[in-house]
Amino acid sequence: MKLKEGFVLRKVAGNFVVFPVGETTVDFSGMLALNETGALLWEKLSEGAQKSQLCDALCTEYEISYDTAIADVDAFIKKLADAGYIEL
Amino acid sequence: MLDSILCKIAELITEIPAEGGLVPLCSDYLLEKKENIVPDIIIDKEQFNFSKYPDFSNEDVFYMESGRQFNAKLLDFNGFYLHSSAVEFEGKAFLFSGHCGVGKSTHTKLWQSTFGENVHVFNDDKPALRKIDDTWYVYGTPWSGKNHINLNIKAPLCGICFLKQSEENRIRRLSAFEATQKILSQTFHKFKRTERLDAMLTLIEDIVSSIPVFELENRPEEEAVRLSYTTMLSAAKELGL
Repeated sequence: MKLKEGFVLRKVAGNFVVFPVGETTVDFSGMLALNETGALLWEKLSEGAQKSQLCDALCTEYEISYDTAIADVDAFIKKLADAGYIEL
Repeated sequence: MLDSILCKIAELITEIPAEGGLVPLCSDYLLEKKENIVPDIIIDKEQFNFSKYPDFSNEDVFYMESGRQFNAKLLDFNGFYLHSSAVEFEGKAFLFSGHCGVGKSTHTKLWQSTFGENVHVFNDDKPALRKIDDTWYVYGTPWSGKNHINLNIKAPLCGICFLKQSEENRIRRLSAFEATQKILSQTFHKFKRTERLDAMLTLIEDIVSSIPVFELENRPEEEAVRLSYTTMLSAAKELGL
């Protein structure tokens, strides 16, 4: 599982947004807004993290149970995959 | 016959091909051509992508591609375009933006019929915005859409309003983030290089922190015009714009 090439995460007006850059731009017209959790997961993914590492990161950052973290990570990955940002 | 003309657009000396119907569009912006003038921007027709527009006339492609090049290069000069209809009234510029067909031109035409001939609609598609010293200015450009409403006017930007059709007239100030998203949806937001995206985001961050941005839900009528005018004017005055 990895993020497709050609996206960058930026903080604009206090919010996180993923922008397409480079040749990807042809297919992507929109911008993906992320909350802090989403931004954290995006950064980890861009560093090559896999699912277990994403769950660990959430548990550490937010003091939530591992089960909750798995559910959150699964939902996030599904959202990214459906929108075409990720290769499973 | 000249193969190119020199224009001053948004205070930038711009070299434009003297063909494809561009010369009459640029008549309000012409500079006398002199050997020693170095243009800020050169519109290069060799880079026009005709195959991208198989169903368009030669003139249409010259119009679209020259505008695209100009707007891309604006970013190097603290500027960008906003897809909008621009009015100047009492020395202040107001922009009405939104997707095609939302009623931008209708709204600014209603400004004219409401407030009279001192309202100038100076660009009806892609006015140029530039930050110069500490002020945001709006400029007329030759790329003004199908109506070719195009006056070479410069005025300080005092407000931006995104339009939305509705049964009622209602206006609200947008948060900085909402304003950023709306602006990005009506200008370039896809870049090949990260540095250019960051340059654009820096400009937009600046504009949304210094210029009030609104959303106007409206019917195409005079009451909506009075609402946008009074709301935008009072917000501008509060900020000393």
